[in-house]
Amino acid sequence: MWLDPVFGALIAISFAVLFASAAAHKWRSLRIFEEAFAAYALLPQIPKLHLVWVVPLSETAVALGLLARPTRASAALAGALLLLGYAGAIALNLHRGRRDIACGCGGPDQRRPIAGWMAWRNLVLALLLGMAIWPSSGRPITGMDSATIAFGVAAATVVYLCFDRLGQLTTRARALQGSP
Amino acid sequence: MTALAISNVVLWIAVLALLFVVLALVRQIGVLHERIAPAGALMLNRGLTVGERAPMIDVEDLEGRPLRLGAPREDGRSTLLVFVSPTCPVCKSLLPVIRSGRKDEQDWLDVVLASDGDLEEQRRFASEQGLDGVPYVVSTPLGLGYQVSRLPFAALVDSAGVLRARGLVNSREHLESLFEAQRLGVASLQEYFASRA
Repeated sequence: MWLDPVFGALIAISFAVLFASAAAHKWRSLRIFEEAFAAYALLPQIPKLHLVWVVPLSETAVALGLLARPTRASAALAGALLLLGYAGAIALNLHRGRRDIACGCGGPDQRRPIAGWMAWRNLVLALLLGMAIWPSSGRPITGMDSATIAFGVAAATVVYLCFDRLGQLTTRARALQGSP
Repeated sequence: MTALAISNVVLWIAVLALLFVVLALVRQIGVLHERIAPAGALMLNRGLTVGERAPMIDVEDLEGRPLRLGAPREDGRSTLLVFVSPTCPVCKSLLPVIRSGRKDEQDWLDVVLASDGDLEEQRRFASEQGLDGVPYVVSTPLGLGYQVSRLPFAALVDSAGVLRARGLVNSREHLESLFEAQRLGVASLQEYFASRA
């Protein structure tokens, strides 16, 4: 069974937008992201080895790879693994009880603490992106298909923003109630 | 086929418009959340630091009972010092709140009202406002010791004589924020929210 090229392109372009925006935030303020990255305490700290740029570099590579047809499947696989890695890192730190570290997402001016919903979100996103690994049929893309892809990407972006804000609100509402 | 394509595009536009409305509403909920967040007692930058020892000052209340404010207490009770004045209208509107707060928190807290100025005027004020039973202290050194610059000002001192919370209190919410700050172990509710935002 083949995936319709419209779905393939829709998923690939939407995730390319997501990864490109995530990478752009990190490139813009690599120093702030470095602090967040170090706070996750995943790797033993080697001061001379600055590994922090690996994250935005992989995100940029995934975003570009998703846009080109020949590299789409491998970029989708890499992106899904990256998302699973983030989910794992967040879950591990939540398990360690470190709820107050910054997630390193959402740009330099937003210091958002990590939360359980972020791990779940990344898991769902990884599953969605995993669908793009499936090979697309060779059906030619018509004008109507292009319109569907364009509108679909816009809709997916806004839906993502809505969920992201709602997630932040839940964290804030919990803070008001005084529970962690 | 053309009609189907047009209706498809129109539907997409409708979906996008609705999604933007949802996004705007979610943002508005965020704004509302910020507005309804409890306001803590206003922290003044000058003055004593929370966590420091409160100044120990010997005073007498209007009925002549000696009080040693800021001293460690063996009974484990905390002391809330509220600085008021007969000439301050906000203080008058706050007195019922102080009275009910004193009743609600009576199992761990003693409330002491403090002021300075003419003794007779203070006595008249205390009896007019029905403050019998609440220790009322008239002492200039006390105000100076706690570096009170504006009224009504409250300072919460724990049983060890350590300043736990302080600030300008204009409402019940502000007053309760001091108790809440002590319970949460933070200097102010502002600090609590800043650490969690």
